[in-house]
Amino acid sequence: MSEKAINDRASIARRLVGKRGRSLWRSLGELSRDPEVMALLQREFPGLPSLTEAKLGRRRLIELMGASFALGGLAACGPATVPDVAIPYVALPPGVIPGVARNYATAVTRGGYADGVLVVHQMGRPVRVEGNPEHSASLGALDPVIQASILDLYDPDRSQTVLKAGRIAGADAFVTALTARADALAAKHGRGLRILSGAVTSPTLAAQMEALRRRFPEMRWHRWEADGRDNVRAGAALAFGRPVDTVLHVDRADVILAIESDFLDAAPGHLRYARDFARRRRAPEEGRPEAMSRLYAVESMPTLAGGRADHRFVARPEEIERAVRALAAELGAGPPDWKADWKGQGPGWVAAVARDLGAHLGAALVHAGPAQPPAVQALVHVINDALGAPGRTVEYIDPVEVDPVDHADSLAALVRDMRGGVVDTLLVLDANPAFTAPADLGFAEALGRVPLSVHLGTHVDETAMLCGWHVPEAHVFERWSDARAFDGTVTIIQPQLQPLWAGWSPHELLAVLGGEPRPNGYGIVRDHWLRAARERGEADAEAFWIESVRAGVVADSAAPPVTVAVSGDLVAGLPTPAEAPRGDALTALFRPDPWLGDGRHANNGWLQELPRPFTTLTWDNAALLAPATAERLDVKNGDVVALTVAGETVRAPVWVLPGHAADCVTIPFGFGRTVAGRIGKGVGFDAYRLRRGDGLWQAAVRLSKTGGTYPLAATQHHQMIESPDLVRAGTLDEFRENPRFAQRPVSDQSLYPAWEYPRNAWAMAINLNACIGCNACTAACQAENNIAIVGKEEVLRNRQMHWIRVDTWYEGGAEAPNETLFQPMTCMHCEKAPCEVVCPVGATVHDTDGLNVMVYNRCVGTRFCSNNCPYKVRRFNYFNYAEDDPRLAMSWNPDVSVRARGVMEKCTYCIQRIREARIAADREGRPIRDGEVKTACQQACPAEAIVFGDAKDPDSVVSRRRGSPLDYGVLEELGTRPRTTYQARLRNPNPDIQEA
Amino acid sequence: MPAVFGPTANLVTKLVLCTAVAGLVVLVGAGWLVPMTGYATEQGIVQEQPVPFSHEHHVGGLGLDCRYCHTSVEVSANAGLPPTHVCMTCHSQIWTNAKVLEPVRQSLAEGQPIRWNRINALPDYVFFNHSIHVAKGVGCTTCHGPIDSMPLTWKGASLRMSWCLDCHRDPAPNLRPREEVFNPDWKRTADTPSGQQLLAQYHIHPETLSDCSVCHR
Repeated sequence: MSEKAINDRASIARRLVGKRGRSLWRSLGELSRDPEVMALLQREFPGLPSLTEAKLGRRRLIELMGASFALGGLAACGPATVPDVAIPYVALPPGVIPGVARNYATAVTRGGYADGVLVVHQMGRPVRVEGNPEHSASLGALDPVIQASILDLYDPDRSQTVLKAGRIAGADAFVTALTARADALAAKHGRGLRILSGAVTSPTLAAQMEALRRRFPEMRWHRWEADGRDNVRAGAALAFGRPVDTVLHVDRADVILAIESDFLDAAPGHLRYARDFARRRRAPEEGRPEAMSRLYAVESMPTLAGGRADHRFVARPEEIERAVRALAAELGAGPPDWKADWKGQGPGWVAAVARDLGAHLGAALVHAGPAQPPAVQALVHVINDALGAPGRTVEYIDPVEVDPVDHADSLAALVRDMRGGVVDTLLVLDANPAFTAPADLGFAEALGRVPLSVHLGTHVDETAMLCGWHVPEAHVFERWSDARAFDGTVTIIQPQLQPLWAGWSPHELLAVLGGEPRPNGYGIVRDHWLRAARERGEADAEAFWIESVRAGVVADSAAPPVTVAVSGDLVAGLPTPAEAPRGDALTALFRPDPWLGDGRHANNGWLQELPRPFTTLTWDNAALLAPATAERLDVKNGDVVALTVAGETVRAPVWVLPGHAADCVTIPFGFGRTVAGRIGKGVGFDAYRLRRGDGLWQAAVRLSKTGGTYPLAATQHHQMIESPDLVRAGTLDEFRENPRFAQRPVSDQSLYPAWEYPRNAWAMAINLNACIGCNACTAACQAENNIAIVGKEEVLRNRQMHWIRVDTWYEGGAEAPNETLFQPMTCMHCEKAPCEVVCPVGATVHDTDGLNVMVYNRCVGTRFCSNNCPYKVRRFNYFNYAEDDPRLAMSWNPDVSVRARGVMEKCTYCIQRIREARIAADREGRPIRDGEVKTACQQACPAEAIVFGDAKDPDSVVSRRRGSPLDYGVLEELGTRPRTTYQARLRNPNPDIQEA
Repeated sequence: MPAVFGPTANLVTKLVLCTAVAGLVVLVGAGWLVPMTGYATEQGIVQEQPVPFSHEHHVGGLGLDCRYCHTSVEVSANAGLPPTHVCMTCHSQIWTNAKVLEPVRQSLAEGQPIRWNRINALPDYVFFNHSIHVAKGVGCTTCHGPIDSMPLTWKGASLRMSWCLDCHRDPAPNLRPREEVFNPDWKRTADTPSGQQLLAQYHIHPETLSDCSVCHR
């Protein structure tokens, strides 16, 4: 796709000038009216050649039709799909009812921090992950990465056997080898023994480490998370003299400043924060406009928090630091010359933000993301202290991570010792440093000097290839363990099934090292907690254990707040902010990919194909540039550039991103895996090669054009609709003046059949005021509804299958859009559905409850419905995507048909869940209760943006949302009477801040 | 020069044309009708099984309740096939040496399930739920046929979609009092409430039952 007009600033300016009111755009191509992008608006299937354009003679046409007819008939002659045997259990496992799903609580960790989940089972087979409503970090919601963990479980590329130097070896041989080494090590007090892991919050593992330290006093435990929170930890240590974790109370915050913050999308506790945030944002339509909070964001690259901000300030990294210093000074927490320093060059917003924060003492909150340097983190604590936040909007707890150390230092020390020949035994637990370690460290080379190296991992990865032994790790759903959440709450991680491929847990590996040749992960975790129960004074330790496992939460295990004081000499001791790179160098910002993290999820097809927020990129990372910088460098989307940091060069495609800071280039890491599996191998470019120990988060980078181009599968131009107000938004003041500003008069007349809905009228309400654009809905839908992945080639042809997509809209200029809007789009279940009347075979029909249902087995694939759908929400199986999917057959949801080639599909409002609730209600002879049917997207949404229910029931939650003055239907002027309606977005700008 | 075609050629031509037309009609008719026959649907055809289990003996003779083996029929989509352990509740005590039960004992000993030949199978795109049918007074024998007189089980109904729809459009004739659902001998008597009465009692709304989404998801 051409992006040539992107840098056509004159045309962008022409479009913006003379435009009164709001002007919203989805992409730079649309903003500049690129004719090729505009052409996409006209066609439902832009990837297909148009019949009128094709030079087809009459004979050729008849030949092709005849061939299609014959081949179509052949394609129908597939093997019978009905199994001819019925296999019962030998003994029915307790509690299992064939055909009835059961949930078991456990947790999934990210960077060590736990999010409580429920794994949904069908006859003992995990099919889906849901949030655990009882868990403080989840409250029932989940992010895309955790939802996709079920696909990792069933990944056929997972490691299946113990390997010795790359060859299959028995587990017994490994135990013998490790035991012998352990005995030898014990004799020399563990000198030379090193363990490397990611961040750990597991109390059991901590106890095991203690025990190992008794046996091996000179052992050392190193930690490395490539996307870890070293800066956050160091900032707290700087501010308070000791490391603490910060717990936010977003629900109590009237004014929030987010400094390239991940509090809505990745920080420990982000699901909870998103819910608290969204509740405060929805307040106006619930009759409490004064309760709406205000969010400021300052950042170099767009984050979800920035997307939701009432004012978003684009700043380069060193500008951010100066701005934070100026803010501290404005609030009286820093020397006045910091104020002067900023005033000399910075825009005036800092003073306005400081006034607003200062006017809400005790109800204000500042948060900085993990890429911000320790000085900024420390200043955030200082500012929060000045704002009276401690005890109100923030609380401090002892670090959740066990034995918190600086990961970068820890890894560097390990490599130093490896190189020095001090290390003779290295255990790598669930980490991939050969891929993720800073490039200048030379981890891989140093690893070659370790006589005995053992890698425990779910996949044979880059590190496994270099280690003497590789041990398959049990997936988190296959093992016993425990982990703590952002607030310290403990979850016992219970296995959901026997390891598919005899995987080991880290606890078991450590137990072998500790001298136990036949370790039992269950026993290790259980013994720890029975002991803990007795120490807690529980009367019945066994009952405590069982209840903790069942609930997925250990009662009263949240960490108590601690009181810390900002050290007095902190402000004076802070280093002056770095200067911007001189000359023509740019600032590289190294950031983890939002879905792949440090690269560990690279072999997960759902995550590869899930569009990234803002860029909408799938199956690739790209060097992200501001429009002005791209123009200056004369590069456009897909141009390949060479990025050079300290002599190391990597070639990367460019993606031009509105709202990115000028002269910076964001380089997402986690891609470019060389040993990952059939899905993740070789996807994207490896940014770790540019990431050095002295520039983990930012560095000076030289960018030069190579002249090459590279196709990038971004979905931003897919399913575009031309309409002036698909997404509606206003300010809080506009709302106060006219609460119904988003509503337009709609004609009731229609030529379509008049339906009556005697029973229920299912409807969905999507609150744009709550939506944070996190894509959890898309991932949940994919997991629930057996949506196949299609691969990059097919995404490039507009063929991704997601039933719900999150559209991103910008308002204002390309360099610093005033507002970013997220709009989930899915089938509207029109009461007057244009798709229904054009289907020649009755494969898409109206049902009694007003659902627009797809009958897959009737569909012959004419695609007329899709052509006639004004919302462009239908998806077509051009190939047998589901059958070609490498995931194990047992991982599909048995309640939903798996669609074949040539079949149209789309959102069904989770008809399987409606039917299940209907059957349960009918069995008991009662109506379906409000809230009994939750769609998958609704259930996963951390912001409660999506609600579903019966629009005929005036007391249902969905009816109340539909009754909101902000409620409107997309394209309702067409007379489709969509059942899915939206509540317009509100913005709460500070009148003191002027916008461009 | 003599004529190329003799007088019989007319007759042959007519015969060929008639045969062709008739053949076409037969082919189309067969394509239409064969799927309805027992040959295609397997309705009424006895299936060989690894163990010659007799419903006639267990249900008709001994009077076991359907739910003794098909335990989840009232709560789940699946009626449930009995695990080997259920067979062995009795057969660990009686007929312990019977040769026909050898596969059952072997299953228990080896922990390997018995592989029964499936009799009632639905395509993957059809989602049938036993529990709701049982709750709404559709008897087991209504669909599964005279199970109490089947020495080896056969398919009691065609399971064609038209057969499903016949009942979904007009369920009244197939309803019985709830307490008679599991009674294989049940016959409508003068005291039985009428189908229409049961329809009202069970709150069945046939106008909603032919929605595609009832069975296809």
